[in-house]
Amino acid sequence: MFAKAFANPYKSIWITQGAGVIWLFATFLILNFYGIEEVTALVDASVFACFFLLGIGMLDKVFSFYIPKGSNNWLLLILPLFYSLAAVYMHQYVMKMIFSQDVTYLSFLQNHFFLRWAFLGLAEVMVALIAIVMSKLEQQEESQKRIAIMNELSREAELTQLRQQLQPHFLFNSLNSISALVVSHPLKAREMVLQLSDFLRGTIKKDHHKWISLEEEMTYLKMYLDIEQVRFGHRLEVVFEVKDEAKSLSLPQLLIQPLLENAIKHGLYGIIEDVKIILSASKEQNYLSIKIENPFDPEVVAPKGTGFGLSSINRRLFLLFGRKDLLSSKAELSTFKITLKIPQTR
Amino acid sequence: MIKTIIIDDEPLAAEIVKEYLADFSQFTIVCVCSDGFQGLKAIQEHEPDLIFLDVQMPKITGFEMLELLEEPPAVIFTTAFDEFAVQAFNAMALDYLLKPFSKARFTQAIEKFLTQKETVKSSAALKLNELAEKRNRMVVRVKNEIKIIPTHEVSFFEADDDYITIHKGPDKYLKKMTMKSLEEALDPMKFVRVHRSFMINLNEITNIEPYERENYLVKMRDGKQVPVSKSGYARLRQVLGI
Repeated sequence: MFAKAFANPYKSIWITQGAGVIWLFATFLILNFYGIEEVTALVDASVFACFFLLGIGMLDKVFSFYIPKGSNNWLLLILPLFYSLAAVYMHQYVMKMIFSQDVTYLSFLQNHFFLRWAFLGLAEVMVALIAIVMSKLEQQEESQKRIAIMNELSREAELTQLRQQLQPHFLFNSLNSISALVVSHPLKAREMVLQLSDFLRGTIKKDHHKWISLEEEMTYLKMYLDIEQVRFGHRLEVVFEVKDEAKSLSLPQLLIQPLLENAIKHGLYGIIEDVKIILSASKEQNYLSIKIENPFDPEVVAPKGTGFGLSSINRRLFLLFGRKDLLSSKAELSTFKITLKIPQTR
Repeated sequence: MIKTIIIDDEPLAAEIVKEYLADFSQFTIVCVCSDGFQGLKAIQEHEPDLIFLDVQMPKITGFEMLELLEEPPAVIFTTAFDEFAVQAFNAMALDYLLKPFSKARFTQAIEKFLTQKETVKSSAALKLNELAEKRNRMVVRVKNEIKIIPTHEVSFFEADDDYITIHKGPDKYLKKMTMKSLEEALDPMKFVRVHRSFMINLNEITNIEPYERENYLVKMRDGKQVPVSKSGYARLRQVLGI
């Protein structure tokens, strides 16, 4: 972590070692200035510099794994101070062993014990501070990156969503129906123009993150179904089986419509006969459970480009809840069933 | 009288064609069908001169229906597909009308039919398969039944004059199609033409062994053997990365 304090992390090792060398020379000069013999001063300074570098290494390691927070902030001060106390004590012990005969040096060493601790302690506290600041900066950078990626993903999802809802195929076929109705049934044509406008407005203006009650979402679904009824009324029937207890439960907007559209499409283009779609909703523990059933022919592979998968809805669910198990589908004989579960957080 | 059939699964969409066509007294609508199966039957029964055909319909698409006809009549597609998708089948038909279409545009298509109808049939049949999108299924006719075969279940295709034999397990199906157009219609990463008259499904290969000089034999999962030519072997190696 400490290494990242420098523009080029590879240089940090040289800078750390350089600091050690400066430490060594400064100690040597001070000792020499106060009349310690050169050889003794050099050995003293070398050992002292070693302890200084050891301290940097240790603090760097500790604070790259663990960043003290709140009530643990005292570690930031205590750890370097405690280390330097131990280091100064060890240094003194080593020096006493080497220069056991040099009485003047030994008394000097003894007298300046606390001064030495103060110097080393101060230096190590500084090191700890730099290490902490760097760790925090990096953490921040990482979380910013994560947020950026999240934003990117949700924007993409929104675009996909929009593209799906505004399926040109649906739009142009609806316009074509209107074009046919204008001459034969002008009033019906006007009604369909209004329905289509309401539906499109609902799609474009809605905030995809907002939650609404199932009842509200159902009025939007009915708008969509009215249009499909004009086009396919002769063979399409959609049944709602919504329990009263489920009506007040909430869900993110525009989540069911693509599923319903998918079911209708697969029904209409998968079989020749009449199509009955059943949408049922109920409360299951802490979830709003929505099931959509459509008939299909297990022998028919859908031609490419006629339907969109459930993948984009799965993706949106993952963005909203961070889960991948909320949408499931299964085929039973000639019925295709999908189940959507919305966790009720509030 | 010019016999015409409208095939569209949306009644209102068929309605509009009927309405526009009413102004051209030389045309008579002999049938309005709501899917490809009814369409096939009606075409065989009435032998129309012109059909208006929707693309997206129940079970089989308009293209697939057209393929099942030995001698397709002149076709005007009516579809809501976007321009890009339309380009792909532009060549298959006399004309295409993008829904919703105007009376003027419709009249233009009718005039095109009236002036070009002699040359249309052959070219439409020739270019029937020039679809940009790779196919994942083939529609064939077995006696009076129509079968949809997913391409991934096919072991290999064998050319036989103007026809292709589709080998799927113990079953064989015949389809009017050329090897060249088949090659264009299938995903080149899944199907390789290993011989002038054979195209195989890569997933169905069990092993490849040498056979005579420079030629090879591919053994398929269903036990059948397919000859591989020298250039076919080169293509096979390229796709398999060996």
